Parts: sequence; structure tokens; C-alpha cells
Amino acid sequence: MLKIINGGIETVVEDWPGRIGYLDNGMSSSGAFDNVALGLANVLVGNQPGEAGIEIAGGYFQAEFETDAVISVTGTDMKPTLNNQPIPLWESIKVNKGDVIKFSHFAEFGFRAYIGVAGGIDVPLVLGSKSTCLFGSYGGYEGRKLQKDDVLKFGKPSKDLDSLKGRKLKPEAIPEYSREWVLRAIPGPNTSPDYLTKEGMDYLFANSHKVQLNSNRSAVRLAEASELSFARPDGGVAGSHPSNVLDHAYAIRGSLNICGNTPILLIADGPTLGGYMSALHVINADLWKIGQGTPGRDFIKFVFCTQEEAVEARKQQREWLSEKSLA
Amino acid sequence: MEITVKAHMPGLVARVVVNEGDKVTAGQEVAVINCMKTEIQVFAESDGVVKSILVKEWDEMEIGSPMIILEA
Repeated sequence: MLKIINGGIETVVEDWPGRIGYLDNGMSSSGAFDNVALGLANVLVGNQPGEAGIEIAGGYFQAEFETDAVISVTGTDMKPTLNNQPIPLWESIKVNKGDVIKFSHFAEFGFRAYIGVAGGIDVPLVLGSKSTCLFGSYGGYEGRKLQKDDVLKFGKPSKDLDSLKGRKLKPEAIPEYSREWVLRAIPGPNTSPDYLTKEGMDYLFANSHKVQLNSNRSAVRLAEASELSFARPDGGVAGSHPSNVLDHAYAIRGSLNICGNTPILLIADGPTLGGYMSALHVINADLWKIGQGTPGRDFIKFVFCTQEEAVEARKQQREWLSEKSLA
Repeated sequence: MEITVKAHMPGLVARVVVNEGDKVTAGQEVAVINCMKTEIQVFAESDGVVKSILVKEWDEMEIGSPMIILEA
């Protein structure tokens, strides 16, 4: 068990792939913002890669272990300590009852850190997932971010704790972080020539787009693209601005909404439908990078990708998030 | 001794909730930053008197940006 001392900025229980299969009922999938950091954290502690872990956005999380456990910390380096002594990232460590884990804030690269716990986080399944949907207030731990005095239970580890400690990743399995996150993307469904001009689509792919401060688990807003050129003079019956379309289903996670002149990536807790055009779609294998984009600091760059490349990238990611990545 | 209260998250200043000359205690909320569409409280880390306020509403903060100076 883990007793929370300080929930920090925004710390939530998330699994992967989240709560899928309910988009038609208006329920977003939620799930880890960075499924690679969560997946590797899980592999290190002997869990399945999609098991629920703790996602820390920004930082300042602090908690006390009430039982012995094996954990791993991945993601951005928030300078985690155990009883005020630094602990390594990207490897599994044994913790004892009474140990206090404490995080500072996000590092030079990345924005979210993850704690994997051998046996996973034991919260009730809600519609098949342990993920927190912050904007729906369900799932995870009482449908909200963690706060002081919450107590998280752990599941049963796959092996005895001593055999799970000290596991490390191959150096090449540790993801590379950046301040310009390159996302492979497939154009559509609202693209050129019907909705954007060719120049409009080229603009999206040719430029880096700054992550805005008001980005969260629902959507990541990018800097206003004033030079984005639309194919239509207006949105017809859907509205005066040409980014308007009649309400349609959004292909979350990863759709790039164009809302006025603002590109917005719809992700974990994002809306399942709406009336703005969606110009491109980030491939599943690159969604994790969006979760490490630091609001107000980092940039996002889209590169063209085919569906075949997207499928291959997803296969490669499955291999990556497996015990084959252990040293 | 002067103590600077710094932003602990990037964001926009939503408001400063103390005035110059106010006495504050450690752990007291002194300002609020807006980030991720969430209001994040900024606390004084030690007791003191507000000597000067360096920010105003909508100012953009980076992590570590000075916000308020306390005289301890």
C-alpha cells in the first residue's frame, strides 16, 4: 500500500490502452498519457505493459510505502528520492515499509514521470479499465487525482519481490526525449483539397507548433496557426469559420482538431465528437510523445506517415514494451 | 533576510492573494498559477512580511520565475 503525503500537481492512476470500446457512448478512452514510460515501468517490475501505474504530471508527488514492494520510476527525471537519497530511473528497486518517495519537478526534457509497482495498482475496474478519466470523474482512484491521505493498494506481484528487483533496461530501450517532439501523422479525414488548401496542409507539416499552457489530459493546444489556409470560405450551415463542420465523431486518440485557427491534439480524456475539422491523425505508436510535451516550452512537429508504416510502428512498439527490452 | 517566492510550475498568474505589508506564515497560499486549465496554488515556504510583489495577473511564468519577495 502507498499512503499519499502530497499529490503534487496532477497525479493519477492510469493503465493502457485505457477504457476502449465506449466512444459511441461519449466516453473517451483515458489511459496513460505516455504509454511507453508506463509500459517500460511495468516491464521492469514484472507486470504486463498495460497494467495500471501512477502518472505524475509536473511533479511534487510524495508518498510513504506501507508495505514492502518493488517499484520502478520512468519518464522525465523529477529527481526522485527514497528517504532523501536519489534513486535511479529506468530500473526496478526494492522499497520497504516506511520508505518515503519524493519527487521534485519535471526535468530539462519531458513532463510526466511514472511509477510502476510489482503487481500493479489495485483499483476497481470501471468498464474494463483502471484508468482515471479526470473530466468524467470516474475510474482510477475515486475518479480524481490523488491527494493527501489517499491510500493506494497494490496487486499481487508476478514473482517474489527479491527476484524482481535490480532489473534494468537495455540502453537502447530507454526512450529519447526532446524539446521538439516529432510525431508521425496520417492526413485526414478533413484535409486538402476539400477543407484545407495544399498550402494549408503543407503549413501543418512544415512548421513546429508550440505546446500551449492550457494543455491537459483532454487536449493539447498548439500555437495559433494564423497562416493556415482553408479551402472553403466558411463552414456553411455548420458555422461562419471554415474550420466548422457538421458534428462528427472525432477519431481520438491522436486527432488534430482545427478549431478556428488553433490546432488542438485530442488525446486521452478528449471529446468523442464535435463540430470542428480534423486535419490529420497522429499514429498510435507516437502518442506517448504528446504526454511528454511540456506546456509553454516544447514544440511538436508532424511528419507524414502511411498507414502501412503506422501498423509496422505499432508492431515494433509492442516488441519494445516487452521483456525483450530488459538488459 | 529576503526570501523570493518562485513559480513552481509554468503557467499564467491567475491572481496574487496577498498585499505588500501582509504578514504570511509558512504554507500559506500567496498566489495562484493557471496551467493545464487548472488553478495551482503557490505557497510561502517560510514566515515573513510581503516586501514586494513582482507579478501581475496574466504574466507568464516559467518554473523558477520570481513572484513575490518576503522579508523574513
